[in-house]
Amino acid sequence: MKAFGDVKHIAYAGIDALILYFDGATLDEANHACIRWLTAIENGNKQFPSQWSWLIECVPSYDSLLIVFNYELIDSHGVYKALEGLQIESVHSSLEKGAQATIAKEDSSDTKLIPVWYGAPNASDLSVVSKQTGLSIDDIIEQHTSVIYRVYAVGFAPGFAYMGEIPTKLQCPRLGTPRKRVPKGAVAIADRQTAVYPSESPGGWNLLGLTPSDMVTHDVHGSTSRLTSGDKVRFVAISEEEFKAYNEG
Amino acid sequence: MKVEITNKGLLSLIIDGGRVGRQKDGFCQSGPMDELAYKWANFLAFNMDNTPCLEVMGNISLQVTEACAIAATGRDVTLTVNGEHRPHYTTVLLNAFDEVSVGSATLGCKAYLAISGNWQVPDVVGSKSTVMREGLGGLNENGQPLQQGHVFEIKQNSLLNIERKRLRKLHHALRPKYNLEIPINVIPGYQIDRFSNVAQQLFVSSEYTVTSSIDRMGYRFNGPDIRSSIDTMRSEAVHLGAVQVPPDGQPIVMMRDRQTLGGYPKLGCVNPIDINRLAQAVPGEKIHFAFQNNEAARAQCLLATSRMRQLQGEML
Repeated sequence: MKAFGDVKHIAYAGIDALILYFDGATLDEANHACIRWLTAIENGNKQFPSQWSWLIECVPSYDSLLIVFNYELIDSHGVYKALEGLQIESVHSSLEKGAQATIAKEDSSDTKLIPVWYGAPNASDLSVVSKQTGLSIDDIIEQHTSVIYRVYAVGFAPGFAYMGEIPTKLQCPRLGTPRKRVPKGAVAIADRQTAVYPSESPGGWNLLGLTPSDMVTHDVHGSTSRLTSGDKVRFVAISEEEFKAYNEG
Repeated sequence: MKVEITNKGLLSLIIDGGRVGRQKDGFCQSGPMDELAYKWANFLAFNMDNTPCLEVMGNISLQVTEACAIAATGRDVTLTVNGEHRPHYTTVLLNAFDEVSVGSATLGCKAYLAISGNWQVPDVVGSKSTVMREGLGGLNENGQPLQQGHVFEIKQNSLLNIERKRLRKLHHALRPKYNLEIPINVIPGYQIDRFSNVAQQLFVSSEYTVTSSIDRMGYRFNGPDIRSSIDTMRSEAVHLGAVQVPPDGQPIVMMRDRQTLGGYPKLGCVNPIDINRLAQAVPGEKIHFAFQNNEAARAQCLLATSRMRQLQGEML
């Protein structure tokens, strides 16, 4: 299938899905294109549900978007045409909005803050990271909190958000042997990415500390991931006392 | 009425059609491994599609406290009521306090037991399926499989009047086939272009053995190494049936409880019809893969779906 616009490649994923890959000089640009398309498809579906009744779900990642459809209602050519139509109709307008959003990036009002007790005893590889990077523990915390991160993808486990990119100074590889048990709320780094473990699980990333806030919330409306693709996130250092008080207040 | 588990078998899970639209938050699809057997079980027990049922490995035993209808389906499925053999792929009526036992004659295969009525079991993230890996769903909403002594409620619809309903039966010749001598069809896609012609030919001309690393996330196979020209790639959404090839060259077919994103190169996806057959394969069995054109695969699925509807229409 021929690519168009900022879609650089389209591939089949079985009889009932297509995967789009996005172009961009940087990962950030490609991810922005991905989120623009996701938003345009979701808006199209909201505005003209009868035209999009074949849409089952969209799964975004770093620079790709999987579109799953009902093969009884449409085939991949029909989906291709619908996307091409969307390209002409609405992606350009959201492209402009996207550009504005990029300009407004420095405006931190919609940045989600995640408090972290750095060096929490059951979630600390600070000394390992310090050895790997040559940074002092204070420098590590300063570096990790200095960036507004972007959520590139949510996956691996419910609510697990892959965020990037951490400063190159802080970059360190995954653990040689993954841990069998990483505690819930552990804030971790690997390569140029950072994430929070939403629940206890195995994991091979370097742990910096613990957050008291929940990454998956359960209420009457169901379970929701606190972070979604495209979100802006900043980590804030808190003390042990603040950590302990967090869920009491 | 109450259903009490008197013997849990090897692994028994409450499963429904699975979750839709939540993979972007990292929640896996879940749902029945053998969707065809699941759908037939519910239809034969007078249930609507997407009603929960039991997916069983080993032999499960349970008791019901009221009259109801059940149906057992799956590969080499066995069904006894109060110790007596009863037919599968057929509506079976139960009396209050009957003891039911369901399993498969082939160890490791999955049997599906549908029980008529409205299942009063917890709904988590839009589904009543149990996902052990995520600790979601199940009677205690923690992903735990059914245990001996577990009791749950299924409301019987008094208006349904099952004693007077026409019993349903799927003829032998029309039941799902689990013959593994017929190749498992794969629709080329994803990173197929990054596998050389030689690698692609090797994949479809070789015999692969089902390993013991098979679970609701994925099925691993043992056979000739398949290599792609990709060293590292960014994680991307993994669709049902995706054939991924990690650096060791041994293919893995991704199943219902697969993680939503993955970073291994993929050859394409198994035809949805063949996923049912593959899901019922057990360690040591041999399989072959074949490439199938996308249009041909879709046509085959459309025909199978309309055939199923027609058969069900004839039984109403």
